[in-house]
Amino acid sequence: MFNLSLSPPQTEFVLKPGVTLTQAYEVTNNSSESITLNTEVLPFIPQGDNGSVSYSALLANPNIAFSLNNANLQLGQPFTLAPQESRQLVLKIKTSSDTQLADYYSTFFVYQTNDMSANSDTFSQSTGKIGSHILLSISNTEFPKIEGQIKKFSAFPKIKDVFFTPINFSIQIQNQTNYFFKSIGKITISKNQKIIKQLALESQNVLANHQRSILCKNQTTCTLSPPLWPGKYIATIEPDSNLNIPPISTSFWILPLSPIAFIFSIFFIVYLFRWIKKQVKF
Amino acid sequence: MKNYKLFLIFFLILFLSTIYHLPAKTAKLLAGLRPTISLAQTFTSPTYNIEFGNFNMTSGKKKSASFTLTDTVGQNAPGKYDSNGYTVKAGFQYIYDSMEKFSFSISDIDLPFSSMAPNVGSTQTNTITITTPSAHGYEILAIANHPLLGNNYTIPDTTCDNNDCSKTTSAPWTLSTAYGFGFNAIGINTSGVATNIGTSNYFTDSTYYRPFADFSNDDIPQIFMSENSKVTNRLARITYKVNISINQPAGTYSNLINLIAVPKY
Repeated sequence: MFNLSLSPPQTEFVLKPGVTLTQAYEVTNNSSESITLNTEVLPFIPQGDNGSVSYSALLANPNIAFSLNNANLQLGQPFTLAPQESRQLVLKIKTSSDTQLADYYSTFFVYQTNDMSANSDTFSQSTGKIGSHILLSISNTEFPKIEGQIKKFSAFPKIKDVFFTPINFSIQIQNQTNYFFKSIGKITISKNQKIIKQLALESQNVLANHQRSILCKNQTTCTLSPPLWPGKYIATIEPDSNLNIPPISTSFWILPLSPIAFIFSIFFIVYLFRWIKKQVKF
Repeated sequence: MKNYKLFLIFFLILFLSTIYHLPAKTAKLLAGLRPTISLAQTFTSPTYNIEFGNFNMTSGKKKSASFTLTDTVGQNAPGKYDSNGYTVKAGFQYIYDSMEKFSFSISDIDLPFSSMAPNVGSTQTNTITITTPSAHGYEILAIANHPLLGNNYTIPDTTCDNNDCSKTTSAPWTLSTAYGFGFNAIGINTSGVATNIGTSNYFTDSTYYRPFADFSNDDIPQIFMSENSKVTNRLARITYKVNISINQPAGTYSNLINLIAVPKY
């Protein structure tokens, strides 16, 4: 059985070229059996627009060295954890002064070493691996210049009834710089220049020169729930001013379709009733 | 007929007036007295904002018989960057301790395909469980070291019933005449009932399979389960299936399947 915990699940640093820092991780064997583990750091690139990663055959940056700072353990050296035992792994990140000013993304992995036992049957063996992302921004300034644009901001549907289904907002932010930023901001929905609702954006990482679909606070889809009064609504997405992303707006209409349909149907029923009554008379 | 025209004109006027002339305040009142402003700022109060908090990420966790960590990584005080050369960007590592830890488990490591017979699919299953802290979800990837291999022969990867599945797409695999090795993953609840939560983007149901990415072929691990929000003890059942033809040379075949759990960044 494989049952591991790894904390923290992600770390994010801004550091100057030539700086060395350490990060402590805690790995816990939650199973009732001893397990032999190993460690490695692999670079990743973002994939898609929802926070996925890809471990392509990327070459590690030679100017950034990862090692374990533990006295009796090196990166890539197997170690054993007893049942329910925890161990602190101290990862040392050393950058050379030649490191190019940009972002570097890696994952610190703790994985189970294979122990393929002799078996007379055809068999597969599963091995587990758990990772924690490291987002490094190498910069001479604490707050590197960031810039982006809202690649997509739309409301769906564009025309909707006053009741029933909500209006959904779709947001995609593009990072146009070499440094990641967080999608801090809000969506303001207004009608007749009056604010109807504000939705806070979830603080999600938009990695360098990449785009990401953004959710609203608490990882929920950005929605405006009915009932809504009829009229034209304007939704404006306003990213935090530090992101240097200009706000953009979209509009949608709420129409009293169901009330009108309801009234029409009443009139139709009355008319039908009177017509049937008339036919019966003749 | 004249009455109907009047009726339509009346409703047209009523419709336009509702759109343009009623103030938003009235609309709000009529719309069920809902508040106009959402205050869903979970980690913000007038006195603090945890996204820009100034926490020591390693405090309280320095326990090791062989190593004592004395630095204070994570301090974000003014001027700290200039003196130390680094700073910590606001990240969800600060709240991990108060929530669940990032955990991943696999129920059964060994998957013996005993009593294999030609044209009769043999399956093995295990269950994976994942818990993520209050972050942005997770993804689980898989890769095999090589296809099932023994005595210089391999059991090829499945291409499913209609030769339409691949390492990145799944397809139905039910025919006894479709040979190979592949897997299905289906989200389940604690009772073992299929919910397909987390796996629905990769496998439509339990009849859908795909082959593993192959490390010996320079493939990269492929995602087969993911979600964009925090989960606690999310379960999935993985079914490993082998179906051999009568021409498959006898022997013992084996491989390693690496299941990789990472958070979404």
